[in-house]
Amino acid sequence: MKAFSIAKLVPLALLLAAWQAASISGLLPKAVLPPFSDVAASLTAMLGSGELISHTVASFGRAGAGFAIALIVGVALGLLMARRAVVQRAVEPILLLIYPVPKPAIIPLFMVWLGIGDASKIAVIALACLLPVVIATFNGTRSVDQMLIWSAQARGTSERRILWRVVLPAALPQIAAGVRTAIAIAIIVLVSSEFISSETGLGYLIFSYGGAGADDAMLAVVIYLAILGFLLMSWHAFAH
Amino acid sequence: MPLLTRLIPIVVVLGAWELVARAGVVNPNVFPPVSEIAVRWVQVFADGRIWAPLWGTLWRALAGLAAAIVVGIPLGLLMGRARWAEWFFEPLFSFGFPLPKIALIPLYVSWFGVFSLSKVMLIFTDCLFPMVLFSYHGARGVSPIYLWSAQARGTGPVRMLWRVVLPLSLASIYDGIQVAVVVAVLVAVVSEMVSGGGGLGELMIRAYRYGDVRTAFATLVTISLIGFILFKLAQWVRGSLLHWHVAEA
Repeated sequence: MKAFSIAKLVPLALLLAAWQAASISGLLPKAVLPPFSDVAASLTAMLGSGELISHTVASFGRAGAGFAIALIVGVALGLLMARRAVVQRAVEPILLLIYPVPKPAIIPLFMVWLGIGDASKIAVIALACLLPVVIATFNGTRSVDQMLIWSAQARGTSERRILWRVVLPAALPQIAAGVRTAIAIAIIVLVSSEFISSETGLGYLIFSYGGAGADDAMLAVVIYLAILGFLLMSWHAFAH
Repeated sequence: MPLLTRLIPIVVVLGAWELVARAGVVNPNVFPPVSEIAVRWVQVFADGRIWAPLWGTLWRALAGLAAAIVVGIPLGLLMGRARWAEWFFEPLFSFGFPLPKIALIPLYVSWFGVFSLSKVMLIFTDCLFPMVLFSYHGARGVSPIYLWSAQARGTGPVRMLWRVVLPLSLASIYDGIQVAVVVAVLVAVVSEMVSGGGGLGELMIRAYRYGDVRTAFATLVTISLIGFILFKLAQWVRGSLLHWHVAEA
């Protein structure tokens, strides 16, 4: 992603202005799409009342827990697979088997096993985020320059220290790319799982406002989610 | 590595699953043995229960994907070659990219109804992003030498896009299709799970509500197979159509 610049906001502002103009002139009936000013007003009201904040906390608690599990297990597994052929031979076929399964489709099964609460959502998010992290860590570790490892070994560095101080830092750029994919996947699975069964969270909020016909509030949450997603991705690009 | 050694870990996992499920410690209706899931998977095909939902999901996914291909490729190519199109659309697509498009399900249901149209439109919207972005990057990567020589022969802008930029962007476009195929199946299933209307997603959520884990699993296997087959098909089409492609740095 290119560096953020204010000039890139111009087309977006034009689009929003066109939306507002169409609503005011009556070309765009309120039943189809409420005016942007109404959506913005809902967004401000929901932010002010703390409603959005509490649901954001609920959503990001789930996504964060699942993501953290995937990150820890994924990096460890990817490193082990790359450094130990036995682990690779044991784990790789199973990962290839899970790979084509659309992860949100597992939600109902996990709900049977773990209940409709947070545990099933966290488990699906963790599983969905695991694959990109493992694959990126594996590929990143594999492509570490062998010279670096040899020179560390020649200086008598222990295997564990080589992993921590040589292999992991060298593989970090690729791991970061996997993490970026995992963030996007985490948000998708989170919203799907909250649509299917939840009483808190941003997905629930969108679904319940949509069902109640409160389109302005629903769109406010959608836009809020878009901004959050954008910030998460660009924060990551920035840190990278 | 020979296929047989690759199968060993899978056989071990499935065998352990079978043993645990048959040991009597877990309720077989919650955690059924693999063998029973396999039997159910054959049953749903044999008694014909799966065919209608399968076609439902498949045609929605393919219709949305086809629409995204038809709209996304010209738009992406235009963005890659025309300054004004890039200026306007590129920020919109990069801002929209991180938004999970399934969050639009309630809006699309109110616009296009609860039946197939809202689902196809959502699949179209979601697949449009990879199609546009991959076409755009493909078109931007076209070497100016080809453009100059075409221009020197007086090629018009439309012919230029169609006969020069499109063929040279095909490698990237096919990458986009491979991404979009997976997205299409996923969005079809999720939208069916959330707003019903038949299809494998609804079959799965209904099986879950009736506590029929075996059917839910058989459906999950079917969904995964569809995604896998479509992905492989896209890969095969790419390989057989693109053997002539000039590799470019």
